[in-house]
Amino acid sequence: MSQISQILSEAVQIHSRQSQKISGSVALGQIVIVTARWILVLAGLLLALWNSVSVSELRIQILFVLLLAISNFYLQAQLLMRRPLANPVVYAASLADLVVITILIHSGGGFHSGLYVFYFPAILAFSVAFPSDLTLFFVISTVAIYATLSLMTGGYGAGGLQVILTRLLMITAVAFCGNFYQRIENRRLQAMIKAQKDLMTQIRQRRVASSV
Amino acid sequence: MHTLRTPAQEAVEDIFFGQVVLVWARWFIIIAGTILILWTSNSVHELTKAILLILPLIGVNFFVHGRYLMEKPANKVLLISLSLVDLVLVTIIVLTWTEQTGLQSNFFIFYYPMVMAFAFVFRPSMTVGYTAVALISYVVICIVVEPSLLVNSVALENLIIRSITLASMGGLATTYWRIQRKQRREIMSQVGNLEMQLGQ
Repeated sequence: MSQISQILSEAVQIHSRQSQKISGSVALGQIVIVTARWILVLAGLLLALWNSVSVSELRIQILFVLLLAISNFYLQAQLLMRRPLANPVVYAASLADLVVITILIHSGGGFHSGLYVFYFPAILAFSVAFPSDLTLFFVISTVAIYATLSLMTGGYGAGGLQVILTRLLMITAVAFCGNFYQRIENRRLQAMIKAQKDLMTQIRQRRVASSV
Repeated sequence: MHTLRTPAQEAVEDIFFGQVVLVWARWFIIIAGTILILWTSNSVHELTKAILLILPLIGVNFFVHGRYLMEKPANKVLLISLSLVDLVLVTIIVLTWTEQTGLQSNFFIFYYPMVMAFAFVFRPSMTVGYTAVALISYVVICIVVEPSLLVNSVALENLIIRSITLASMGGLATTYWRIQRKQRREIMSQVGNLEMQLGQ
């Protein structure tokens, strides 16, 4: 009897832990988001040092990169201490990443800037962490803003439209495939949770049978 | 009930469930390629030649997608072969399509969803290899087409930024793959413990 009680108590603990884990797919994906942001920081630093024209400009760029690094270090520290951030904070931080990248693209010439490639790791990161509706919102916003920016900065010719379309399709591809994979993995985990629940049901039934 | 998995069984499951991501990444590239072909071709000959190149890819992807929908997914060898074919095709596109080739080509971005999708399906050691092949192919093509980029600061910077972001696609996707695998293994080991205790 005591063994069955111990099993039941463990099973209940597992069930509550797993429920929290599954509902926290954003928490699971935060590591990917933080890592993507480190890549942005390092690449931003490289760009700033490579492209430096004046001391004052370089100072501002380095300061900006350092601020981004400090904020990302804070996020990383929270994860290391197993205190994932609240979802709204994560959403806001990802939105800030996209805004920063867009500003960089705009300052680099818009359509003619090669910095749009930074969108790809940023979009991958939130597509595997965020729910589908939020991913859709972020991607549509990114696509709309980048398309507008590109068209306003010289991308309106026939050749330019093809290039813009290709870039937007690939951005959409990354977001779609990332979020689709997240959904596949969530379904696999749910199947395992169900197997756990079935097992717990068997345990309870055995307990009832043994008490009778 | 056998809930504990060997690494080999886990790998088979990853391929079983994840291959549809590879299929969809390829569909996006096919769509982009088809639109570009229809838009940029100036003659019947040009259009025919280009469409004939993309039709086999459409056929193969349709075959793999169909098998997945019938719950008879493709095996690892076929998937890896197709992924390598994708790499070769994208590299050819970067090398030959339109007058802007090499670093000037805008079609290097086709590499990004392919590398990401591959990293979602296969284990990290294979992802490292695939990403490295994609990177090296692209860098070599750029240098072959425009050797002067090695002494051109702006061009070199562009190449490095693209290389970093392409490598990060493989790295980030494989990080997420590892997170999910760790999660599944934790659940499986707990279920396995319960089963063993229940069986006593």
